Amino acid sequence: MIQETLLLKELLGNNEMIYRTVIGLGYMLIYPGLIMIVIAAALLLWAERKIVALVQLRYGPLWISRRIGGALQGFADLIRFSFQEVIIPRRSDVIPFLLSPGLAILFSVLPIAFMPVSPYIKPPIHSDIGLLAAIAVISVAPIFIVLMGWASDNKFAFVGSLREALLIVSYEIPFIISILSMGVMYSSLDFYEIVERQSLLPGMLLNPFAFLASFIAMLRVTSRFPFEISEAETEIVAGPYTEYSGLMFGLSMGLAYIKLYVYALMVSLVFLGGWLPIVSGEGVISGFLIPSLIVIIKLTVVCLVAVFLRAVYGRYRIDQAIRIGWIHVFALSIVSLVWSIILVYGGWIRWV
Amino acid sequence: MEVDSKSISTQAIEELSKELIQQRELGVTEEGERLIELQIGPTHPGSGHMRIRVWVDGDIIVRCDPDIGFVFRTIEKLSENRIYMKTIPLVERPSLLDTTPMTIGYINALEKLMGIEPPPRAKYLRTILAELTRIASHLYGIGIFAIFLGHSTGFMWGFGDRELFVELANQLSGARITYAYVIPGGVRRDMPQSFPDNVEKALRYFEKRLPDWYKMFLNNPVVEKRLREVGILRKNDAAKLGITGPNLRASGIEYDVRIADPYEAYDELDFMVPVADEGDAYARALVRFEEIKQSINIIRDALRKMPGGDIIHPQIARMFNPLMKKIYEESRRVKFPGVFASLKPPKGEATARVEAGRGEALFYLVSDGSPKPYRFRWTTPSYRNAILFKYLVPGHRLADLPAIYGSIDYFPPEADR
Repeated sequence: MIQETLLLKELLGNNEMIYRTVIGLGYMLIYPGLIMIVIAAALLLWAERKIVALVQLRYGPLWISRRIGGALQGFADLIRFSFQEVIIPRRSDVIPFLLSPGLAILFSVLPIAFMPVSPYIKPPIHSDIGLLAAIAVISVAPIFIVLMGWASDNKFAFVGSLREALLIVSYEIPFIISILSMGVMYSSLDFYEIVERQSLLPGMLLNPFAFLASFIAMLRVTSRFPFEISEAETEIVAGPYTEYSGLMFGLSMGLAYIKLYVYALMVSLVFLGGWLPIVSGEGVISGFLIPSLIVIIKLTVVCLVAVFLRAVYGRYRIDQAIRIGWIHVFALSIVSLVWSIILVYGGWIRWV
Repeated sequence: MEVDSKSISTQAIEELSKELIQQRELGVTEEGERLIELQIGPTHPGSGHMRIRVWVDGDIIVRCDPDIGFVFRTIEKLSENRIYMKTIPLVERPSLLDTTPMTIGYINALEKLMGIEPPPRAKYLRTILAELTRIASHLYGIGIFAIFLGHSTGFMWGFGDRELFVELANQLSGARITYAYVIPGGVRRDMPQSFPDNVEKALRYFEKRLPDWYKMFLNNPVVEKRLREVGILRKNDAAKLGITGPNLRASGIEYDVRIADPYEAYDELDFMVPVADEGDAYARALVRFEEIKQSINIIRDALRKMPGGDIIHPQIARMFNPLMKKIYEESRRVKFPGVFASLKPPKGEATARVEAGRGEALFYLVSDGSPKPYRFRWTTPSYRNAILFKYLVPGHRLADLPAIYGSIDYFPPEADR
């Protein structure tokens, strides 16, 4: 045990329970939890607009905080959303209408509780089936998106939520299969063991099929181009979020970025080796901050690649997207599972 | 090939529409309760100034009704209460992106009434501006098309590259969009000396950009997948429905007013008319790109062959007062002599047609000898293409509606007038 933790423990009266509660709350609410996610989402929004603007030969966000290239644009948008009027349509089902954006965000953030970002400070729930639990929790979130569309009583929202439901089914299954095939590969569902076993080769090289399948599935699940189909503006206005306004709209729009953050965190832990090459340090700085920063950098790279695709692609039609999901991505995920099984049970990979 | 006008009878259209409606409305009668009616527009991000009523069965559109007229501005009636000169800016208003062909058509009809012909240099200048506008209009259409598919880069590039041609038109005419450059008997001003060089620079830049355009937009796998086999317009349907412009040529009918009934300097210039046979949305996009390339050829050719001489008919130049004459000789700008305010063409009627960016526009002008036209009739290409919504969209998915809308480059204000 090192100095800082001792100090914190002393302050809290050496009570293990209170200590874990404080650490857990901090983990979930501040870093790498809620506040970090909000900051990351706002910066990601700015980065997306800036990168896309670069391709499109224009400036992108510029005037808010001009000296740093408009980086505060996302926060300005957030403030604007917060002070706008929230309009509740008369014919909507009020309680689900109001609750579902918040619940969707809640279930998108909750998987953080299972996912470590450093070897030293453990996540609030350290479980040996953490990977499975994280996937299970995050796959609850789309239900609330469907609920949003249903509760809005708007035809466009209804069509949008049906699209979301269809697409989620056809892309979450390949995602789950390809992620779990990595579980087979590592013979473990515990994030710590998963990261540890990538010390020689990262997971994306051990099983490139799984990486590809889960990356494509991640693009769809987080509504990135070319799969931004459930919110397609020129077809169904804003999809499930059509009737939302003010902060509620901000929440619904931020939802995709929050999910992107969490999915990218999962991908960077499972495929990119988490905080490796930092092996293990002691203390808050070398045991928590530096490893977590490495995780955040890997996560950011994944996110930036995902948002960059907006500049390249249009959107697929829904039947094309579903066909791609069930034929190509699903097949790829099955291949990745078979690959893992062959490698592990054929004796090519042996974990000590 | 010119379409045989005798084969297009009202009966044929009725038969065709009956057949198509029977086929496609079957769903409406049999499964009426399953259908959702969606009102796309007039305030919808993907509708423009119009309303499209679609009935969807699940995701499949079984019926589509274009509801036009939201931006109807009584242009024809307004022109009956104005002197001839004031109608020139008026005909620019409905199709703001494609103004010069419209003014050329109106002025051609007026010149036929007056019995004068502009000097050759004016004809060439008109042609150059019309082609600049055509490129700008196509780029606008492609930009809107791209954002309909969610392809934001195509949208931004379209508007960004359009700026080149808008700026060139600005140098030539002094305005960015509403030029009112064409006047009876000539054009308002001569081109500046630096103009040919600037045009060459801009064209070279744009030609360098074209491969990027193909790579990013036309050959983009997602875009190609969205457009191929979507909204197929067969050759005989296109002829029967009276479709015009690039949409007609994408269905395999080689008909262009610039070739069929040359006006201005088109009969002296070297260009070809791009045609595609597939008739789907992809072919329509492709034809627009090829037309841009041809327009570039036309502009180059026109600048090369540009004759010298006057830019205004000598009969009008004779009416200049000394100050006007001085301005004309010094800076080659035409000031309107007083006769334009009370221009009274002799009694009679005249028609003129032009190939605007979106297709053929027909102008019909009747004069009763007074300073105001007795009747001004104007058929715009978008109006003729609007019917495509009814026949192309049913049977496709909801997501194909924007793709088809964008591919026919429909511009509601132009259709409504």
